[in-house]
Amino acid sequence: MTGHILLWISPHVLLALVAILMYQRRLYRDFPFFWLYTLYETCEFVLLYALISIRTVTGQQYTYAFLVTLVISISLRFGVIREVSDHLFRERPFLKEAARGSLQWTWALLVLAGIACAVFAPGEDGGRLIGGLAVINRGIGIVQCGLLVFLMCFARLLGLAWRGFAFGIALGVGVLSGIDIATYAIRAQLVDEGWMRTLNLFTTGSYLICSLIWLGYILAPESKTSVVTNVAGNEVDDWNRELQRWLSS
Amino acid sequence: MITAWIFVAIALFALALLTFFATRNRTHPAGIDGAISMIRSIDMEAFRNLVDPAEEEFLRCALSAKEFRVVKRKRAWAALAYVRCAGRAAVLFASAGQAAQRNSDPQIADSGMQIAHRALRLRLHTLQASLRLLGQVVLPGNGNRPLVSLIDEYEKTAQTLLRLGRLRNEQHV
Repeated sequence: MTGHILLWISPHVLLALVAILMYQRRLYRDFPFFWLYTLYETCEFVLLYALISIRTVTGQQYTYAFLVTLVISISLRFGVIREVSDHLFRERPFLKEAARGSLQWTWALLVLAGIACAVFAPGEDGGRLIGGLAVINRGIGIVQCGLLVFLMCFARLLGLAWRGFAFGIALGVGVLSGIDIATYAIRAQLVDEGWMRTLNLFTTGSYLICSLIWLGYILAPESKTSVVTNVAGNEVDDWNRELQRWLSS
Repeated sequence: MITAWIFVAIALFALALLTFFATRNRTHPAGIDGAISMIRSIDMEAFRNLVDPAEEEFLRCALSAKEFRVVKRKRAWAALAYVRCAGRAAVLFASAGQAAQRNSDPQIADSGMQIAHRALRLRLHTLQASLRLLGQVVLPGNGNRPLVSLIDEYEKTAQTLLRLGRLRNEQHV
């Protein structure tokens, strides 16, 4: 049990550290939603930990508090996805226009997929609150993870530089949503208490990994792609000669 | 329970893709040398010939329908190889342009921005062209629109890159 509590506390401590580092480096200006998300997740943990520690709070009250905080957390994650996609297209307005259509289509298809999964695979316990929530969260996980995978494919296909902290944020949220798909899918099918405990352990463990990803990317030095700035004069000549030959062909 | 395992498989696939992007994101672009060798490898005359609508019309008249489909499919595969190469060159141009944007000389930075924009536009064209050529491979009998815009875009990108090269040269002199 102590191990489980530690696993629950440690990612939130790391998230608080990420929030502090973001504030120190003025990164909250570039990623306000993610900063808000890290602060919110830390406060949410404090609230839930306090609720679970107070003996007078019933299980049902805790569940309702958990559900409300989860809904806000999921909404913030959508904001974070919007933020990293804006960051990717920030200096490329024409590409933003081109990507908007594809993103809207992807968004629509993923929402449809999520709804179809909820309708055609409602799970064993879909009628109850927690079971129903697991099915909805599974659908949301599909939308969020799908959007991030699409954005990464798009960036890779177009050779867009999406490095540093923005990529780290996208990667962390993508991993978190991917794991949500798997864990909520199992939750929707299983009502066994033992399995639930194992899944809780797995969820908190994966959250720790994501917090480490965010912390790692914020601490890692920004890579410099000095491709052109270090070109020697003779290389430029070679470059020009080739282009002239090619253009005159 | 099978449904749950299907979702687990989907999640694992997504996580594998994310891991792939994370590891590939660390590798550095090939740079100018790569862009030059890409340019060298593209024979524009041969590519123009492969996508020339007049040439296609001539083949359609000269060959039987079956022979035409076979030849058309081969031409589409060959053109696809060129388009892929142009696409890779576009990615290199884009990274060269993005790097040049950080240059202290405002003229070079501006030129770099133009290259990056053109290269990304070219990349979009190559993706579109690849889809159309794959369509020709599957349905060689169908009529298709010419890929002239792709060639134009490639030439515009190369001209902008050339301008940047000249600016760099002036800076070195």
